[in-house]
Amino acid sequence: MRRIRWGWLGWTLAAGLPLAFLGVFFAWPVVALVVQGFVAEDGAGGRVLDLSGFAEVLSRPRTWRLVGQTLGQATAGTALAVLLGVPGAYVLYRCRFPGRTLVRGLVTVPFVLPTVVVGVAFRALFAPGGPLGALGLEESFAGIVVALVFFNYAVVVRTVGGLWERLDPRAEQAARALGATPWRAFRTVTLPALGPAVASAASVVFLFCATAFGVVLVLGGLRYGTIETEIWVRTTQFLDLRSAAVLSVLQLVVVVGALLVGARARTRRERALHLSSDRSAAHPLRLRSAVDAVPAAVTAAVVVGLLVLPLAGLVARSFRGPDGTWGLDNYVALSTTGGRNTLAVTVWEALGNSLRTAFLAAAIAVVVGGLVALVVSRRPRAAGARRAVGALDALFMLPLGVSAVTVGFGFLITLDRPLGLDVDLRTSGLLVPVAQAVVAIPLVVRTVLPVLRAIDPRLRDAAAVLGATPGRVLRDVDASLALRSLGLAVGFAFAVSLGEFGATSFLARPDSATLPVVIYRLIGRPGAENYGMALAASVVLAVLTATVMMLAERLRGDRLGGEF
Amino acid sequence: MGPASHGGLAVRDVVVRYPAARGGSTTAVDGVSLDVAQGEILALLGPSGCGKSSLLRAVAGLEPVAAGRVLFDGADLARVPVHRRGFGLLFQDGQLFPHRDVARNVAYGLETAGASRAQREARVRELLDVVGLAGYERRAVVTLSGGEQQRVALARALAPRPRLLLLDEPLSALDRGLRERLAVDVRTVLRETGTTAVFVTHDHDEAFTVADRVAVMAAGRVLQVARPAELWRAPACRQVAEFLGYQAFLPDGDGWLAVGPTGLRVVQSEESGPGVVASGEWHGVVAGTVLRRGRAEATVDVDLGAGEQRLVAIADGVELPEDGDKVRLVLDARRCAHVPA
Repeated sequence: MRRIRWGWLGWTLAAGLPLAFLGVFFAWPVVALVVQGFVAEDGAGGRVLDLSGFAEVLSRPRTWRLVGQTLGQATAGTALAVLLGVPGAYVLYRCRFPGRTLVRGLVTVPFVLPTVVVGVAFRALFAPGGPLGALGLEESFAGIVVALVFFNYAVVVRTVGGLWERLDPRAEQAARALGATPWRAFRTVTLPALGPAVASAASVVFLFCATAFGVVLVLGGLRYGTIETEIWVRTTQFLDLRSAAVLSVLQLVVVVGALLVGARARTRRERALHLSSDRSAAHPLRLRSAVDAVPAAVTAAVVVGLLVLPLAGLVARSFRGPDGTWGLDNYVALSTTGGRNTLAVTVWEALGNSLRTAFLAAAIAVVVGGLVALVVSRRPRAAGARRAVGALDALFMLPLGVSAVTVGFGFLITLDRPLGLDVDLRTSGLLVPVAQAVVAIPLVVRTVLPVLRAIDPRLRDAAAVLGATPGRVLRDVDASLALRSLGLAVGFAFAVSLGEFGATSFLARPDSATLPVVIYRLIGRPGAENYGMALAASVVLAVLTATVMMLAERLRGDRLGGEF
Repeated sequence: MGPASHGGLAVRDVVVRYPAARGGSTTAVDGVSLDVAQGEILALLGPSGCGKSSLLRAVAGLEPVAAGRVLFDGADLARVPVHRRGFGLLFQDGQLFPHRDVARNVAYGLETAGASRAQREARVRELLDVVGLAGYERRAVVTLSGGEQQRVALARALAPRPRLLLLDEPLSALDRGLRERLAVDVRTVLRETGTTAVFVTHDHDEAFTVADRVAVMAAGRVLQVARPAELWRAPACRQVAEFLGYQAFLPDGDGWLAVGPTGLRVVQSEESGPGVVASGEWHGVVAGTVLRRGRAEATVDVDLGAGEQRLVAIADGVELPEDGDKVRLVLDARRCAHVPA
């Protein structure tokens, strides 16, 4: 099998196509943008490398304040998400109770909600006169951290819960039999076993928190910013590419660090998975014992207070018209272009744009991400090839962390003549889906990969011995088993594309604006009418994304799960 | 048994290597030669890590052969990929396709061979009948017990009428009673279907139940190939004898007298009958007794001339000794073997 050239050709293509895609639509624009910032005119018509931007930007106190705020927000967000998420993982994956599936679905919804929607929801909550207006969280650090936890709670719950569900309970039972208290058994046996999953989740959450854009932009106002929003401000408002480039490099350092920690934790976690049983070890929830009652209380508080309250507030508020009366005025207004013609398209037209681009983006992301997962799931015999596969895995995680703003702006300056070809991609309408696909690919990979890796290689051997050609093995074993997770991956990609804001805000032209872009524009303009429309549009977008995710979850059915 | 020229499998000086973590490589199979005649069942017997599974995978075409040749019916298989070899392979844990029901698992090899629907259905029914699972066609494989899964896997492997069936510890994951029953069943099915087979196992009872001949492997090499009775009667070396369960070795001329697992007996004070080595008689101290399959066995500490050892002696026909009793021990010549040094 290995000696046939066709096999090599196939695998080279399977690895080459995604690499080419990532190269053209991610690495090139990002590098080009960064380089742009470090090149200066030398006064004689030539261009020279100019690194003085570093010294200049790094000597500004404002830069260090932004770095501090970014790291502070990411650290606080991660710590809180883990602290609340671990009890949640226990209750939702280790205990059985009526309605568990529903709560699990509910917990997942925020993760796929568009950042702009979340921003609007929390703004409505914190605004003076809102349900939590008295807390003074508007445009504050604490307010943003709470919103970030809202987003990333699901990441921790699902990643840790997925491992916990299948962790063999007998190790903990052995510890209890040896005289350990429940808390001691948890601390000394269960927690170390969960360690890799916690670390893996924490690194992903840290990444999301450090590069959060829409939430910070909507909630932080003018007083509060991070590296990511500063890149946006520098490029769009001051056309100061030099500072933007330096900030992008700074952010890249943070991102690569978090990714390295995450990759290490992930390999350890996949190894740890072999130690677990394939049966669920969940037991009925026992509210009489403190072991179950305390996590259950924490989880209930989080689900109601952190997840349901903002969403319910958003929905309720969307039914109050500009004049303060209850009704459908805001929804009726969605067929207009807003007060004083704020928009170039009606909100319903923007919804159409969103759906069209999301379809395309999901298709691209699933093809490219599926290929990556397929290649990365193999364990070649040669050590060199194994390392190459590992590198490919890490490489495709990069778009998770690199500023979407950087990607978007990079697109604008490079893709007018991609690869020297005379096609201006910027007007082709393909640019937005491609950018959204770049953002969605890592999620597709992380959803499909664990399922492919969980397939016993001997199952493929069994098929081959029974006469199946390599292509047929791929179809009958890999494709058949991964199909359901592919459904979930399509859902994820679609939902993420629907909500993508950072890159889209750069690339979408006014007449092809997507729903998140339109929502942001509506909040930015004065007028109660526009604000009401933003709320209604947010509800529409949230319902749409949640529906897509619920459908995808149903497709998944069995318990072979992804990481998010 | 006949050499390769009469058909069947021929393995010639085969070497299998795995790349080690840091460059270099480890040799799992180190120059093995074997012949399996048409219709014969050969067992590869050895402790775990001796390279028997690697050899099996190399024959199947799942591991590249670093040196040597694998031939079938005289044709070199080096350039024949796995799926064109026409072999069957049975794994320890079945490896059934979880997304297919029983019938579609069994039919898989027929599908890849392009058999018609009617042919497939008939063959599936026939095979399920052979393995004793008639009527299981529409069952999901996850609902089957371990033994049933293994029967389905056997049916799946046999359905396309493989030229050679390779069995990789097919019974090891099952519990003891089931394992012994299924070993007999496997033998019957292979005999009835006239299948040529190589059976890998670490359990000698299993090997002797199923196989016509047994090849004992250790550290990547074949130590001896023989029929079960011959293997017991004349182990080629001490290593083979130890692996078969010979429990003590006494210097004997140019080699060893190997004391079999039932080669030592507790005797009444005055007994001396046929099979008892008149010259040899030892005194041992009983450390414990156990009834195994209705037969009394005593664990005794005894010095047979090579220092004190803890051995098992048959205590049939005598009053069951108590722990700490001193007993007389004799060797049963029919249960001992001479092993060349």
